[in-house]
Amino acid sequence: MGLRVAIDTGGTFTDVVAIDEASGDQWAIKTPSTPGDPSQGLLNGIRKVCQAAGREAGQVAAVLHGTTTATNAVLEHKFEGLGLLVTEGFRHIIEIARQSVPDGYGNSYFWVKPPRLVPLHLVREVPERLDFQGRVLAPLDEEATLGAIDELVAKGVRCIGVCLLHSYANDDHEKRVGALIATRHPGVFVSLSSIVLPEYREYERAMTTLLDVMVKPYCKTYLGRAEAEIRRTSGDTRFLIMQSNGGVVTARTAGEKPVTMLLSGPAAGVLGASFMADHAGLRNILTIDVGGTSTDVSLVENLKPQLTSAALIEHYPVKTPMLDIATVGTGGGSLAWIDPYGNLKVGPRSAGADPGPICYGKGGKEPTVTDAALVLGRLPAALVGGEIALDKTNALKAYQKLGENFAMSAEEAAAGVLEIAAANQVNGIRQVTVMKGRDPALYSLVSFGGAGGLFACEVADFLGIQSVMSPPNPGNLSAFGLHVSDVKRDYIRTMVRQESAAKWREVDAAWRELEVRGTKEIAAEGVPEADIQLNRSADMRYVGEGHEVPVPVSEGVTGEAAVAELWREFHRVHQGTFGFAYEGSQDVELVNLRVQAVGRVHRPLARKINGKAGKATPASTRPVYWRGIGWQDCAIYRRETLPLDATLDGPAIVEEYGSTVVVPAGWRLTVDPYGNLMLKRKP
Amino acid sequence: MSVTQQRRKIGPVELEVIMGTVRSAELEIEAAVERTSRSPMIRDQHDYRVALFDAKGRKLTGRSYSALVEPVFEYFGADDIHEGDVFFWNDPYNSCGGIGHIPDLCTTVPIIHQGRLIGFSQVFGHHDDVGGAVPGSMPVKATDMWTEGLVVPPIKLYERGKLNSAAYRIIARNSRLSEHLKGDIDAEIGAARLGSRRIVEMAERYGIEALEAAFDTIIRNCTETIRRELLPKIKDGVYSWEDYIECDGVEAPKLHAMRLTMTKTPDKIVLDFTGTDPEAAGPINWPIDYADGKFARKWMAPVLRSLASSPERAAEIDMNEGVLDIIEVKFPEKGTLVTPHFGKPTGLRFFILLRSLGIFAACLAKATGGRMPADHETIRIWGLHGGRTGKDFFLFREVLGGGGPGRPWADGSDVVHIVPNSRNLPAEFSETRYPVLVEKLALAIDSGGAGYRRGGFGYDKRIRVLQGGKLLSNADRAMLNTYGVNGGKSGSTYGISVEHKDGRVDAIAGMADNIVVEDGAVVRIMTTGGGGWGDPLEREAERVRYDVECGLVSEQAAREVYGVVLNRLGNEIKVDGPATMARRAKMRHARGPLPMFDRGTYFQEIKAAQGVAWPKGWRDPDEGWQAVARAKNEAAAE
Repeated sequence: MGLRVAIDTGGTFTDVVAIDEASGDQWAIKTPSTPGDPSQGLLNGIRKVCQAAGREAGQVAAVLHGTTTATNAVLEHKFEGLGLLVTEGFRHIIEIARQSVPDGYGNSYFWVKPPRLVPLHLVREVPERLDFQGRVLAPLDEEATLGAIDELVAKGVRCIGVCLLHSYANDDHEKRVGALIATRHPGVFVSLSSIVLPEYREYERAMTTLLDVMVKPYCKTYLGRAEAEIRRTSGDTRFLIMQSNGGVVTARTAGEKPVTMLLSGPAAGVLGASFMADHAGLRNILTIDVGGTSTDVSLVENLKPQLTSAALIEHYPVKTPMLDIATVGTGGGSLAWIDPYGNLKVGPRSAGADPGPICYGKGGKEPTVTDAALVLGRLPAALVGGEIALDKTNALKAYQKLGENFAMSAEEAAAGVLEIAAANQVNGIRQVTVMKGRDPALYSLVSFGGAGGLFACEVADFLGIQSVMSPPNPGNLSAFGLHVSDVKRDYIRTMVRQESAAKWREVDAAWRELEVRGTKEIAAEGVPEADIQLNRSADMRYVGEGHEVPVPVSEGVTGEAAVAELWREFHRVHQGTFGFAYEGSQDVELVNLRVQAVGRVHRPLARKINGKAGKATPASTRPVYWRGIGWQDCAIYRRETLPLDATLDGPAIVEEYGSTVVVPAGWRLTVDPYGNLMLKRKP
Repeated sequence: MSVTQQRRKIGPVELEVIMGTVRSAELEIEAAVERTSRSPMIRDQHDYRVALFDAKGRKLTGRSYSALVEPVFEYFGADDIHEGDVFFWNDPYNSCGGIGHIPDLCTTVPIIHQGRLIGFSQVFGHHDDVGGAVPGSMPVKATDMWTEGLVVPPIKLYERGKLNSAAYRIIARNSRLSEHLKGDIDAEIGAARLGSRRIVEMAERYGIEALEAAFDTIIRNCTETIRRELLPKIKDGVYSWEDYIECDGVEAPKLHAMRLTMTKTPDKIVLDFTGTDPEAAGPINWPIDYADGKFARKWMAPVLRSLASSPERAAEIDMNEGVLDIIEVKFPEKGTLVTPHFGKPTGLRFFILLRSLGIFAACLAKATGGRMPADHETIRIWGLHGGRTGKDFFLFREVLGGGGPGRPWADGSDVVHIVPNSRNLPAEFSETRYPVLVEKLALAIDSGGAGYRRGGFGYDKRIRVLQGGKLLSNADRAMLNTYGVNGGKSGSTYGISVEHKDGRVDAIAGMADNIVVEDGAVVRIMTTGGGGWGDPLEREAERVRYDVECGLVSEQAAREVYGVVLNRLGNEIKVDGPATMARRAKMRHARGPLPMFDRGTYFQEIKAAQGVAWPKGWRDPDEGWQAVARAKNEAAAE
């Protein structure tokens, strides 16, 4: 039994949590990220945490890694040398996109079409054509194809996306194009749409393929470098990468299809929150991960994070199974500012990590949410751990100045800024709940991230939520979440069939084919076959609808029964999602078949907290300001000294390393056996 | 304390939270409509609008235009508005101008808190079928309103929470898709109620007084933004312009003119439609001369956003009831296109809706030294239906965008649609679902009007028909071009044709129905390009070269319209700098001063043949207006 090391690489800092497989002992450290070559920060993290745990590199049994660096790289437009090959007649596919203009009515007058991932002169046509059943209408013209490839390479293209019409139904032509590129130009990176996203709708498939090939050199290079070094120091250790779907795969697999890790940044936190919520006896939760510049919000039902199949990175659609996470532009570093019309605003502009809030004393000049919390006495004079002494004087000055614009005191202004920040988060939560037909009041709020505890109860008040949970070590729950992930891979195949014309044998056979691939590939990731679980589902709709709903098949059901379950369950799912169904009156259409293959891996034990139940004793008191109430002397507790089953009533503050939990009046906090702080609104 | 703050009866925090909540509620209502409605026109083409209003019926939300609440006051009165009521109508002649054609069913719920009316929440959507002469309820040949579907004057569909089931059944029974229609109506009511809950929550949190003060500020912010950021860019004065609908679907094609006189003073804009041509026999009328023209004022005001300092800023500016303090309207006597007599058909009024934006933008172009976007035509529908009813019947229908306008800050966007988030049909979807093969999905070469900033490109789409059927087309601008501004050239027209297997090519009219297409024939659709902006001879030669390299602009156009001389060296295309300079100098000299507007060849031919007649007191609105040189124009923008 060895040490499992989880590394969560953010834009600025890398969080590392190591867990001893046998004892469950945990160690956490932080180290600066190295966006230029993320492998450096990753390897530093392993070294540092081994030191902290007093272990040798050779004792590392597994390395788990989640990252936002790939997304950041896309956002920073770090890529060049991208080319695209498409079917003849479709060269303008990404110029045309879906003809939509975002946001308001009539914006088409002034809206400017954003630059495409591949400029038109680097898009080439390939003479070939398939029909929707994959039959060849025109064979691939290899000579013309080679000509197109050579032209692109001559123009400096180093990464080629290939998206041919109906390749989801027959990948022969794309494979052949891939082989031609590999033979002629072995150094060129290639992604085939039939591998990246074998699903119909050519524009979205092309874009997802382009994003995949775009980040491939970057991801493959740094993952390869890290893996080589890990092997050198720790031997044949498993190196697993978090994907957007909340599962992990080996670094090698991730490098082959990096688009699956593109939106994985916030996924591990959701898994960690769900794991701790399970121990606390909660099943339906809303997670909010409050970071420096933004907050990630997601919905977990029956301990299952909700999935979605599409998102936008900037203007570009990416289709890959992913946890459904909404991001709101408000976090601890969000700036409070006044617009030209005299309105008080909070975010989305942020002080970021550099210079950071005024109170960090690193040159920040504009007031942030964190500064507001300090001014109000919600944060200690120095962040616990003592590493950062907070500059209250200058934070206060900034809020005095801000308040003068509105004839408000510094405290009133600061408390108002927190109220606005909470309201902004509330609107984000509504995106993943109300907009999907869910009532947030029926969920518990699990709040984490550095600033997660600052106004979770205020957010809950807005939404009518009755209970809030703060898991242990909320500052590195994302890194912890990496430890509780399974190996997961998703398989999809488009098969459009109407219920009246579908044959169950054909559907079942296609599913089985995906399952065989899944079993093989998960086993290749090092999971014993007995630990592999296969989940069938399908995307379906009523004939004539423009979008599909995902319909799951019960575990273990196969053959005719599985197909029959689809036709039956679809109406129920449709009813649940959209509020109506046409059972018996409208034909149903199957669109995509899906299989998710899951390989169960090691789970750490959640640790119970030591000691006996007892009373909570405050470490100190200090004045804290509350909106509409004013200054009150409040009890300040240290989280690590709170005994099991301790109960305390707000107003109070609980401080710990890297985080602060605020308990407003009207809320009661108890400590559960796993160290979760459970806050409930008092009746 | 800032000046703004002194006038406010509400704190900045409450205000910001309420503003954020109103904006979020608008998005929530939209999401609920899309999630739960049934007509593809609403769910996929996003043809619906939502709004929140205060207790006086003033619109608070600003992402999009909306219908009005005035019919509630006018037909029921303040004493007859109760919790649980749902108001409902689609009558173009009894909706205070808020509903323009019959497929738009409008649902309005009052928002009540502690027994007091605090606002309204409203949704209207374009329903697939509300009866009338043809499926889809937009008959091209309609000559009266009753041909176009079931007309509902303002009624209470729910009275204090109780459904008026008789009305509901009558409405549903009159649709060819009654299940869809019922689902849509229920979805709209549910969505409107959802929005109203958000407003009640704010009243509970901060009190009604704070809420109402916030509403006042939201509206005043809009007025002030326009006054401070946009109006100063418009030179005071009186400006006129006109544009035309080329065909009403019933009579032979002719110019149906919409005329506008804009009077700009430091704080106001008065829009006068006097001079507009008589009402049409066919469905291109637009009855808006009600309730002080509130609908038209709110519909047209967003055009002003194009004067913002950047497109990003333009997208931020909310257009709510605050625009009424800026814009006033005047209408001609009854009996014109915008003041039709009761009962005139209105189904395809979207042509004139777009013309109204275009003529306002052109008046502003005159008043801003040409700094407004050119024209774009954004809505048209084409389709193919075939097979046997109840067996293999199919209706393949697409709403296709066109090229966006050239603007001082950018080329026009390609194939865009004015309705936000509306989407085209992927080829892979179309081929799976319908008996067609999409042979080409492309931007139409040279379709964007030339200019310093050219118009966006329209579609060039070729579809092979695998199983014969009948073709339909609902399109304007098939003869008249989209106009170019400030020296920019007009964009290309819409065109639809059938290429038969034997090689014959039939051009089809823009307004057409039931054109037989046999197996194996190809339908080719070219949608409009956007108008160009500014002098094409000023366009950077490198941009022209790049468009040629990409195949979007022909070498011929580069030479003849842009004056750019290119040399081909193998695969490379290079600009011949000296030859280009010489050619441009020669062209400049030969052509003389550039006009402010270019309406294209079809119009010029009609005009040359004395085919444009102006009413008494009107003169040619293009005459005497020349393009403003770019340097001067940019100085004016400072």
